[in-house]
Amino acid sequence: MTEKGITIVGLKKRYGSGDTAVDALKNVEMHVAPGEVVGLIGPSGSGKSTLLKCLGAVIEPTAGQMMLGDDLIYDNGWRVKDLRALRRDRIGFVFQAPYLIPFLDVTDNVALLPMLAGKPNAEARKQARELFKALDIEHRARAMPSQLSGGEQQRVAIARGLVNRPPVILADEPTAPLDSERALAVIRILNEMAQKFATAIIVVTHDEKIIPTFKRIYHIRDGVTYEEKGEGRSFE
Amino acid sequence: MISLAGRDIMHSWGKFVFTGMGLGLLIGVTLSMAGIYRGMVDDARVLLDNSGADLWVVQKDTLGPYAESSSIYDDTWRGIRSISGVADAASITYLTMQVRRKGVDVRAMVTGITAGGPGTPGWPPYLIGGRQITRGHYEAVADIASGFKLGERIKIRRNHYTIVGLTRRMVSSSGDPMVFIPLKDAQEAQFLKDNDAIREQRRRTTENSAFNRPGVPGLLDAIIASQSVNTYVNAVLVRVGKGHNPDKVAESIRRWKRLTVYTRSQMEEILVGKLIATSAKQIAMFLIILSLVSSAIVAFIIYTLTMGKIREIAVLKLIGTKNRTIVGLIMQQSIALGLIGFVVGKITATLVMAPIFPKHVLLEPLDSVFGFIAVVMICILSSIVSIRAALKINPAEAIGG
Amino acid sequence: MKKFPFQKRTLALIAILVPLLFLFVYVALRSGPLAPVSVVLATVEESEISPAIFGIGTIEARYTYKIGPTSAGRVKRLDVDTGEYVKAGQVLGEMDPVDLDARIRAEDAGFKRAAALIDEAQARKDYAQTQSSRYNLLLKSRATSKEMAASKRQELQIAAAGLTAAREDLSRTAADRKALQAQLNNLVLISPVDGLVVSRDADPGTTVVAGQFVVEIIDPGSLWINVRFDQTHARGLAAGLPGRITLRSRSGEFQTGRVLRTEPLADAVTEETLAKVVFDQIPEPLPPIGELAEVTITLPKMAAAPVIPNAAVHHINGQAGVWKHRNGHLQFTPITLGESDLEGHVQVHKGLKSGDQIVLYSENALKEHSKIHIVDHIPGVTQ
Repeated sequence: MTEKGITIVGLKKRYGSGDTAVDALKNVEMHVAPGEVVGLIGPSGSGKSTLLKCLGAVIEPTAGQMMLGDDLIYDNGWRVKDLRALRRDRIGFVFQAPYLIPFLDVTDNVALLPMLAGKPNAEARKQARELFKALDIEHRARAMPSQLSGGEQQRVAIARGLVNRPPVILADEPTAPLDSERALAVIRILNEMAQKFATAIIVVTHDEKIIPTFKRIYHIRDGVTYEEKGEGRSFE
Repeated sequence: MISLAGRDIMHSWGKFVFTGMGLGLLIGVTLSMAGIYRGMVDDARVLLDNSGADLWVVQKDTLGPYAESSSIYDDTWRGIRSISGVADAASITYLTMQVRRKGVDVRAMVTGITAGGPGTPGWPPYLIGGRQITRGHYEAVADIASGFKLGERIKIRRNHYTIVGLTRRMVSSSGDPMVFIPLKDAQEAQFLKDNDAIREQRRRTTENSAFNRPGVPGLLDAIIASQSVNTYVNAVLVRVGKGHNPDKVAESIRRWKRLTVYTRSQMEEILVGKLIATSAKQIAMFLIILSLVSSAIVAFIIYTLTMGKIREIAVLKLIGTKNRTIVGLIMQQSIALGLIGFVVGKITATLVMAPIFPKHVLLEPLDSVFGFIAVVMICILSSIVSIRAALKINPAEAIGG
Repeated sequence: MKKFPFQKRTLALIAILVPLLFLFVYVALRSGPLAPVSVVLATVEESEISPAIFGIGTIEARYTYKIGPTSAGRVKRLDVDTGEYVKAGQVLGEMDPVDLDARIRAEDAGFKRAAALIDEAQARKDYAQTQSSRYNLLLKSRATSKEMAASKRQELQIAAAGLTAAREDLSRTAADRKALQAQLNNLVLISPVDGLVVSRDADPGTTVVAGQFVVEIIDPGSLWINVRFDQTHARGLAAGLPGRITLRSRSGEFQTGRVLRTEPLADAVTEETLAKVVFDQIPEPLPPIGELAEVTITLPKMAAAPVIPNAAVHHINGQAGVWKHRNGHLQFTPITLGESDLEGHVQVHKGLKSGDQIVLYSENALKEHSKIHIVDHIPGVTQ
């Protein structure tokens, strides 16, 4: 576990080539420290999604650097070999919809990640259950996703994002389907988790209810990020 | 690692089992189709086996007695019997006709067997009920497929026969049950005209003044009697003595008696190669069509199941699941579907379809094994489309856009 | 509550899959060529059997009288019809005499003429006698020549011969008349026996040739059955054996009878032995001539020996034998067969003893290593 969180320097992404080329990301500079929760805000078409995909190691940037802790992930066209393993082991995802695997129960939904990494089933489940207490879903450990409420599902999704103790978690509109009370609860949990596991969390959102809670916010406009200070309001 | 395919099946087991059962019925039909072909070949073999003959002597240049009609004099057997190497020779007649029983017609192959007792060529080698024919007239042994019961009286042409014994699996090459009756009755039945025809013929003969001469009493009666005599049979079944080569015996009969003789292998060739060749081709076509339909159905089901899981697969990919795992998920499901289908198919083919089919359905274990392999292969092949589709899913789809 | 849903699903799954698998295994092992063959066993028993032989024949009359005119003629009248009983000597009908009466009258006239001719010859002879005697006396007295006397003697001889001829002519004419009279009498058709008219082949007015019959009469008491027995089964057939006769028209009931004789000539074409079987009592009403009859001849009882049903006999490579069952295994045992009866029982001379278990029925052809499954009766066979 690194003390340095995630660092992005001069990240660019160009789709296509020649006359039809579109520069989705022109210059992205970001840094999120471990234990920190930052917001990423931008109108649609601003390159927000592209940035998220680059951060999530789903697509490669055209230029620029990204570092996860001390490890270089991208460096001007160079990239680490196994992005899939990288996603599995070092990046946690929390999505707008929980996207739980419907045929696995709560425990296995979460334990699947350590299992995919090669951990024995029992150990993986133990690892998953450790999180449930903190997220207050212990009593639902054997339930199927379809039996959970929206908030519970989102908490399971958070647990899945956390289970491998990744240095960074990307949360894509995690509060969109929730009312303000629940949305704030999610943000509280994310903050708690960030503290607890020293994880850098980037929350992509345009949810007015939660924007005030961030201490630091990155705005993205036309592929360029601007950092500003957030209100850092309490979410109680 | 847990089995994702297993979990998915467990989760939607109802859909799976019922789809599998549907597929199973289709596979059952496919297996039955193969079984019908095997049954036809087996029927032909059993027909030859049960005749107890090594050689079939028939009318010159015919493919008789099963594939073509053949008629030879009924004393031909005496000459054949005296040829060296012939252990037994017996005349036989085969005629497919309607047999009446309580006013209902049953189509049957009436077989006339030479008097002599069990073991004479042409006699049913084993029974499942009753006894063999002991009287020289008006007794019959019928195949159980005819629906006749022991002790029942049936009518063949003008005569009534009592069913004294029952056989099983004694059918003609076209699947008609056999009814064994004494040769003399059968000859009569085969060539016997109905009463109207006889009366008509008598009238015509009577009106012919050349036959009905006033100065020659008795001439007309003699002529009418000579018209109703029948001395033909369809074939002579020959059993070759121990230590004699059937081919050589056949050759000497061919040479001296100027008759056509078939050996067992030639007869099988005629029955399987000629008589049921068209049906076999039909069944082969059906088999191919059914296999294609089955694979299309498996492919379609698996594709639908996979497409229903696009999000999940995208999430799985995003959280770092290996392609191998995803391929395994789809292929295992496809094979599981195939397995359920095969098991259901085998059961329905054996317990439901084989008994209700009017024709003999022979389900060879080896065919089942081939069928199983084919099902698994078809499932693997059918899942390829879905696998390609699944591998094309972009993990980015999980992230909003 | 926590674990319940999952378990319910598992249970349901097991409830479906386990029976399915069980069925599958059952189906794989219990049907098709791998399945054991269902067999029905029988126990060999010591028993005596009454062999019998079976044949069919037609009812015939032993004596048939075909009555017709002795010469060609026309039927004048016919008093009886088919189905009527007639007595011996009864007039059945008459032929038309046509010209017979006139011919008899002509013969009568001829007779009279012949009688007159005798008188004439007698007169001539008497005269010649007188002349001859007179010339003899004249010769003795030498009143005439020797030659003249000889001439008169010759005349006497001629006259005597003439008389004889005339007498014979008279008897010829009388005989001729008698013949015509006989012919006239023969025009009446008379039944020679008590019997039954079975056919009437010509009606009045019909011209028939000599030898053609007009009425056929049978003696109902002489009905017998001409029975044909297949040669392969005719062993033991002999005169005097009792039999049962079932008439085609009266199936279900039977008459008793016995073999009157076996024919010395067999039918070479149909390979049958012929025998005549008579009724112990002629059935009433009389069965029609030509009706089919099934005849079962009972042969003398055979001494007790091991008996098996004929359905148990199998032939392998021309050798008769049975499948003997011992401790679940089958073994083909060659046997020598003896007498059999019509109910399908066969005596075994060699190869089996009573108490042996043998396969009676089997669902499929058996082999030495066939797996078997013993049942009471083969499925589908109703008892």
